[in-house]
Amino acid sequence: MAKKNELVIARVFDAPRGLVFKAWTEAERLVQWWGPKGFDVKVSQLNLRPGGIFHYSMSLPDGNEMWGKFVYHEITEPERIVFVSSFSDKDGSITRAPFSQAWPLEVLNELTLTERDGKTTLTLRGGPINATEEEYKTFESAFGSMQQGFGGTFDQLDEYLAKQHV
Amino acid sequence: MRRDVFQAIADPTRREILSMIAHKSLNINSVTENFDVSRAAIYKHMKILTECGLLEIKQHGRQRFCEGRLEKLNEVSDWVAQYREFWDKRLDSLEVYLQELQGKSKKHGKKK
Repeated sequence: MAKKNELVIARVFDAPRGLVFKAWTEAERLVQWWGPKGFDVKVSQLNLRPGGIFHYSMSLPDGNEMWGKFVYHEITEPERIVFVSSFSDKDGSITRAPFSQAWPLEVLNELTLTERDGKTTLTLRGGPINATEEEYKTFESAFGSMQQGFGGTFDQLDEYLAKQHV
Repeated sequence: MRRDVFQAIADPTRREILSMIAHKSLNINSVTENFDVSRAAIYKHMKILTECGLLEIKQHGRQRFCEGRLEKLNEVSDWVAQYREFWDKRLDSLEVYLQELQGKSKKHGKKK
């Protein structure tokens, strides 16, 4: 599922795997931590099954709110969840990220949990999806270049673009 | 219609146009002549690149030149930084929640 140039984030939690899994999959637990500081998270729908949806809102005291959703692809308790995340409106239609035009509309995330000595390692792999095969290749190359320190200078950009000639 | 940097670089012809104009502005004709496809097809790609903010057409006398605005490509790497920041924050929050839940103090700090 995860492609070799996807982004990977890992974190060790001092908690058993079962608990970490619950924190990700139970609405009453998700609202406790999901969402940036100062936002009040409300779950409008959480349907934990392949094809099911987690649809939520995050609101600020000033009344501003954002909506987001996950569409679950795979759920293997207590070790793996594959889901597509996106921002949405209150009806669940996909929208652009409120903070950036460059944020992909949909991101495929693969969450894996492994437990050792009562501690849980969480690994999250992510990459944009619902792109064409061509776009996938572009994303992968882009991530590959960036992980080697793609800094954005013209020379590096030129080199990066040159590599795209197939 | 979606117009962003990702879309711009998704197409090999557009990437080729970008690499041609990465270092110097080029006369529009010398860009189109480089390709086997029709002039109209290249204009279409140029239009998309313009809409994505990566290319600017400038009039110099009677000639039109393509100029690269490649700094916009930084958005691709910005995405990576944003993704990482987004999840780092979420996971910080999850860590606090799990500690509270288990009645542990925060003295252990962040674990990587």
